[in-house]
Amino acid sequence: MKPFDYTAATSLDDAIRSGARPATRFIVGGTTIVDLMKLEVETPEHLVDLNPLGDSDRTLSSVTDLPGGGLRIGALARMSDVAWDARVKDGYPMLSQSLLLAASGQLRNMASMGGNLLQRTRCPYFRDTATPCNKRAPGSGCSALHGYNRSHAILGTSDHCIATHPSDLAVALAALGATIRVRGAGAERSIPATELHVLPGAHPEHETVLKPGDVITAIDIPALSFAKRSLYLKVRDRASYAFALASAAVAVDVANGRIRAARVALGGVGTKPWRSTAAERALVGKAVNATTFRTAANAAVAGAVPRKDNAFKIELAKRTLVRALTEVTA
Amino acid sequence: MSTCSIGDRAPDFELADSAGHHRLADLRGSPVVVAFQPAHWDPSWAEYVRAYNRLVAEIGGEAGARLLNVVGAGDWHSLTFDHATVELPVICMDPGPVAERYGVHGGPAVFVVDADGRISWCHASGDNPPSPNEVAAALAALVPEEPAAPDAVRSQGWSRRQFVATTLAAALAVAFTRRVARAERVPRTPVPASAAASRVTLRVNARDVTLDLEPRVTLLDALREYAGITGPKKGCDHGQCGACTVHVGGRRILSCLTFAVMQQGKEITTIEGLAAAGGATGDALHPMQQAFIEHDGFQCGYCTSGQIMSAAAVVREPWGPADDDVREAMSGNICRCGAYPGIVAAIQSVRKGSATDQNGGRR
Repeated sequence: MKPFDYTAATSLDDAIRSGARPATRFIVGGTTIVDLMKLEVETPEHLVDLNPLGDSDRTLSSVTDLPGGGLRIGALARMSDVAWDARVKDGYPMLSQSLLLAASGQLRNMASMGGNLLQRTRCPYFRDTATPCNKRAPGSGCSALHGYNRSHAILGTSDHCIATHPSDLAVALAALGATIRVRGAGAERSIPATELHVLPGAHPEHETVLKPGDVITAIDIPALSFAKRSLYLKVRDRASYAFALASAAVAVDVANGRIRAARVALGGVGTKPWRSTAAERALVGKAVNATTFRTAANAAVAGAVPRKDNAFKIELAKRTLVRALTEVTA
Repeated sequence: MSTCSIGDRAPDFELADSAGHHRLADLRGSPVVVAFQPAHWDPSWAEYVRAYNRLVAEIGGEAGARLLNVVGAGDWHSLTFDHATVELPVICMDPGPVAERYGVHGGPAVFVVDADGRISWCHASGDNPPSPNEVAAALAALVPEEPAAPDAVRSQGWSRRQFVATTLAAALAVAFTRRVARAERVPRTPVPASAAASRVTLRVNARDVTLDLEPRVTLLDALREYAGITGPKKGCDHGQCGACTVHVGGRRILSCLTFAVMQQGKEITTIEGLAAAGGATGDALHPMQQAFIEHDGFQCGYCTSGQIMSAAAVVREPWGPADDDVREAMSGNICRCGAYPGIVAAIQSVRKGSATDQNGGRR
């Protein structure tokens, strides 16, 4: 690991200032950044520890009620604490499930909510500094395009990158219509969860709309009554402790056998958390049955681009979504 | 190779010492170990501490002493031992010329200097430092066996000779020398000035441990390589196996994925302190340790400390009662021997035992 200097943040303003320096990274849980620093995929010269900020401002590390309904989740809150929170479990089951189906008990005790959204792809070529990777070394090429790409994305890809976004949480947040609160050089601003991440296009090294020094302070979950009836379904190579091959976050509002409103997002298949408004439109107003779900699933994967080893993900994603919709409306 | 001979007066040198000792000669009256470590090891302090901990750990294994605490500022440290609370000096310095006067031109070298300031033993050849037991034996040879050992010492079953050897072996004067002349050294990547080691105090198993650490030292490496607490194991070192699981503030975490400098002021518990943290006294095991034994929750044992630390935390987490809940909760701990059925049985026995306990039954 390359040497670096370490600073414990004393205030949010300080953190933002120090974070804007070149070659600077924030650290909270460390579960992504420490791993990637060992691999020398990340080689920061300055590391700014945001954890002390949670001691002075508890809202940064806890779940609080929003005045008009909904929840504010501090960015420093740990995945496990949010997952077990009764308001989250009862009001937004898919959110709790997306957290509990991710990583392991130890990692969930460490990893922060903000850090989870900014975790890096698990593409093996990104993690291997001996191979070309446009995300890690811009312009060096994409080893996955014609390499072993079974785990890679089928949606939102480009000729420069097909790396899958690994977060389960981000998929649930996309479906729930969450907003990400960010503090930077200017005033605090809110970014829709679906707009935090950007498509790889010609510049896969740019993964989010955040600027140097920007700190995610909170995630706001809007009031959404039918989110009580929601589900995060994750399909993996093994039963637990693995990244998604395909996942679906769904919430459905059903009245008299017809779907009044629906939220659909897919994970494990996109270069960013993949909300499908096309699938939602295909569900609204329709009867709850297998044909409706299958139609929505076809809409969700429209435009998917399979590669050598990952074509199975198109059918897998569709079946995952159909099963999730079936279970949540049962 | 050394040009010094047994019986020679040990060349005197200055000590960078804040405790009132200015020269090696000031330590006359008690034996001292002078150790030279080649500085090409990188990071050099890690190697120093590693060698030092090896000395204490190996000798401790024989005599029952255990390094618990390294405190003090500058180059002068004092050590606290488990049963005996003995203050011991450790001298660390970087005098290239001193090594020359001892005739050390490369590789590790260790000299035992007797109470009169004469070299009584030395090891100055080969690429490896002497074994701690060799150093302990050389020190023990300096101390005559006394029939009347203090009760406190006798009650531990130690001989006086063992006790003295144990305590004195830790009184190291460690001097760093350059194996290669500075001019010939391969230029290294410039290290930011603030990346240097700094003093980090960790609260481990209800004791403060003060270490000189670079920021890049993970909690796992700090515990194992610097503090000599080797219960947490290094499996994958990337957060995928769970062998390094420890508790911080009562919660299970992976010590390989956090930097030690970030864990100051937190209560850290390793397998060594689990039983005591659970209220056990003496040699009593934590209920989870006992359950792993009773249910054959291991084969080779490498993952076991991580499994037990994880399991001891799982029983406090709000998981459901089924075996499948245990499997899901424990999925971050990999066992390549495949002792999973025993592990699940052990955890379930403790969880059911806890329920009995709450009803006034015996755990």
